[in-house]
Amino acid sequence: MWSTAREIAPGDTVIAWLTRDLIQPLVVTPGKDLNIRFGYYRHDDLVGVPYGSKVGSRNGKGFIHVLRPTPELWTMALPHRTQILYLADIAFITSHLDIKPGSRVVEAALAHASDSLTRQPPQYFAYLDQLLDLTPHFFAGTGSGSFSHSVARSVGKTGHLWSYEFHELRASKAKEEFTRHGLADIVTLTHRNVCKDGFTVESAADAVFLDLPMPWSAIPQAKKALRKDCLTRICCFSPCIEQVQRTVTALNDAGFTEITMYESLVRPHEVDQVPPMRSVDDACEILKKAEQKREDKRLRQIAATRQNLANKRKREGEADLAEEESHHDTASGKRTKTDEIDDIPQEPISLDRNIAGSSEVADSTKPTAKTTVSKAFPEVRGHTSYLTFACLLPASPEVTVDA
Amino acid sequence: MAEEASTQNKIRSGDTVLLRIPNGDTRSVKVEKDLIVSIGRLGSFSSNELIDHHYGLTFEIVGKNLVVLPPQNIQELEETDATNEHIVGDGSVKPVTPEEMAAMKEAGVHVSVPFSQSNLREVCPCFLQDIIKKQIDQHTNFELKTEYSKDKYKKKKEAKYAKVFTTIPPTLFNVCEYWYNKDQGRIRDLRIDALSQMLNLANIRPGGRYLVVDDASGLVVSGVLHRMGGQGRVLTICDVETPPAYPVMTQMNFPPEFKSIMASLNWATCQEDYTPIISTWDVEEDQIRSDKQRIRVNKRRAASDFLQSTREDLFAGEFEALVVASEYDPQSILKRLNKYLGGSCNIVIHSPYAQILSDLQVVMRASAEYLSPALSEVWLRRYQILPGRTHPMMNMSGAGGFILHATKVYDDPSAVPVEAHRRLQAKLATETQKSSDIVPSQQEEGDVAMTDAT
Repeated sequence: MWSTAREIAPGDTVIAWLTRDLIQPLVVTPGKDLNIRFGYYRHDDLVGVPYGSKVGSRNGKGFIHVLRPTPELWTMALPHRTQILYLADIAFITSHLDIKPGSRVVEAALAHASDSLTRQPPQYFAYLDQLLDLTPHFFAGTGSGSFSHSVARSVGKTGHLWSYEFHELRASKAKEEFTRHGLADIVTLTHRNVCKDGFTVESAADAVFLDLPMPWSAIPQAKKALRKDCLTRICCFSPCIEQVQRTVTALNDAGFTEITMYESLVRPHEVDQVPPMRSVDDACEILKKAEQKREDKRLRQIAATRQNLANKRKREGEADLAEEESHHDTASGKRTKTDEIDDIPQEPISLDRNIAGSSEVADSTKPTAKTTVSKAFPEVRGHTSYLTFACLLPASPEVTVDA
Repeated sequence: MAEEASTQNKIRSGDTVLLRIPNGDTRSVKVEKDLIVSIGRLGSFSSNELIDHHYGLTFEIVGKNLVVLPPQNIQELEETDATNEHIVGDGSVKPVTPEEMAAMKEAGVHVSVPFSQSNLREVCPCFLQDIIKKQIDQHTNFELKTEYSKDKYKKKKEAKYAKVFTTIPPTLFNVCEYWYNKDQGRIRDLRIDALSQMLNLANIRPGGRYLVVDDASGLVVSGVLHRMGGQGRVLTICDVETPPAYPVMTQMNFPPEFKSIMASLNWATCQEDYTPIISTWDVEEDQIRSDKQRIRVNKRRAASDFLQSTREDLFAGEFEALVVASEYDPQSILKRLNKYLGGSCNIVIHSPYAQILSDLQVVMRASAEYLSPALSEVWLRRYQILPGRTHPMMNMSGAGGFILHATKVYDDPSAVPVEAHRRLQAKLATETQKSSDIVPSQQEEGDVAMTDAT
């Protein structure tokens, strides 16, 4: 598949890891340059470097990591990056279909809507359009080779994958890609509409995987492609529940058994280190202090008002202006007494500031013992697709199928 | 190849076979030629009846023999207007007495049609149908039930009385499910979706070289070996003196060549500076007195040589993945095994607890040897998909555990991060700006120094 040598050789496909969100495949071609935001590199510099090395740029503007490709990394390096979330689906399907070294697998996928679709009957096109509209990212998913690469890895040289691509351009591109990745012996790629024309193999596959908008229409063909001398399995990958229901009916009618359906997701977590959480005891103390402070102030203000009143009485008969002023003072004094809520903004209980102060005290007594916490990312994928599975029992004389 | 796969799908003598019984439970039974298999209330039969049959078939126990039943379909149910409005739980169901039951069993005929046929009365009279019919007759409110409710009732009764079972193919999926349902603690909450993701993230493929630390009863090792098909190399590190039993492997029914690529070391013997204490009995050839002694000496020598070669294999390093599901501190595991991991090696660690892996993630993040350690939780939901009755299962497993994945990389301390470079550039730029303010014309360094001096 890809190079298993320790060091990178000319012609190897490597994965250049720039950042977690910026990963790109690279065919090491001596003489070529790589000029990116993270510096300037020459492909020659990568030759002979062990896989997994950090490589500094020639102009000192950053570095990259050069990794050995895996189907998972390859998926991450694709332009449709969200697809790594399908790891859960691909992994689960591989296990449920029991894909292992030596397995023979049939896969039918459909890439983006293309010109070839217009040749279909109008209602098919409308339906497809609707589906593509609902899940624009989805059909690019396995059609982009994520599943194919993963399966090719798992079945190895003794197994085989027949991959059927509906979209002509995508088919020829994928074919090129498989050849470049040394998978030409393992993967046979055919451009065709399997719903209409069926598969090129008969009674040959251990497992069939359908990533089609109307999987039910390909089920009779899928049954033909499956081996009849042992138990075989099928998986249909559909984002909508209506698709699942029609698929289940079709599977049942075609004689498949053990029909089950799953949803599998990954919830990525972010890890953080936070200072130890504060006790409400602290908050309690701070509130008590604030309350005391406010009360002290109120008492001071009452005392001041009384003083003012006394002074006022002494100066009775003085100018009107002075009287007005003292009246204003009385009013403000009263307000403090009765309207305590208004008082708070005047004397804000700065919880944060105060607690920051108190935690400084705590910090001085013990070193900053941070706690590690984790939580799911604020936005995670809530749905990828429904995975419908079924088995086909061997058609041997020991079983009489018709009841 | 095709032939090989086909025989792999058949039950062989010596296999440990999983059987699903009507109440939904799974039993694990040993199938050996001429051995009698007993599955509790369902009865018993001879192993020979199962051997050479394909996995996945459904059988009925008739006397001491087995009869293969045809595959079952899901039956569509017809909607009726029935509701539960007239049904009151007044004990109107008269149970069938044990005497009646015995009489029916006595006269019993085996079931030769799918027992989930919705219209029981039309199929041939047999013990199961008789018994259910009898119960239905005594259930005065039965006809008031909705079709769905009737179906549920019949299914419940079938599960109770049917003497049928289905053999479950020994796939990783099925074996994992069996163990998860049986005792998820023993496999450290490693649910099949988590295990599948681990195997994919670790890039397990035929021909690879992997290090495995498995305290999950051998589930991880089984998964790795299953995906390698007897090609490559697996070293497991364990906490017991002799190679561990890995009980999960029993149900996988691996051919011997699948297991031969695996060898085990323990936490002491995997240490380079530790010399394992093996009394090799450095006995000279001429000192061996008896054949018995010679066998013993040879055996010990072989064991010692095997241990030594396994150790050398580990110390040679360059492993492609480290897969861990262990009761030990993952940080301590990494510390010991890190030096044997090759560049770009996938490190995949499972734990039932997020806390353990988040602590580990913090440590790994601080190290330049690990690229992008990422923590995730697995989530899996199964659906009931009966026609007109599709919905998620009312109960789902909430504990599949957490996975941490990272890539081992070789650091280059001289490489400058792009941000640091930008800061440096910015600093240089401001400095040049300043100096050019002082010296209007472009001058050589020496000139600048001279101007500064003046």
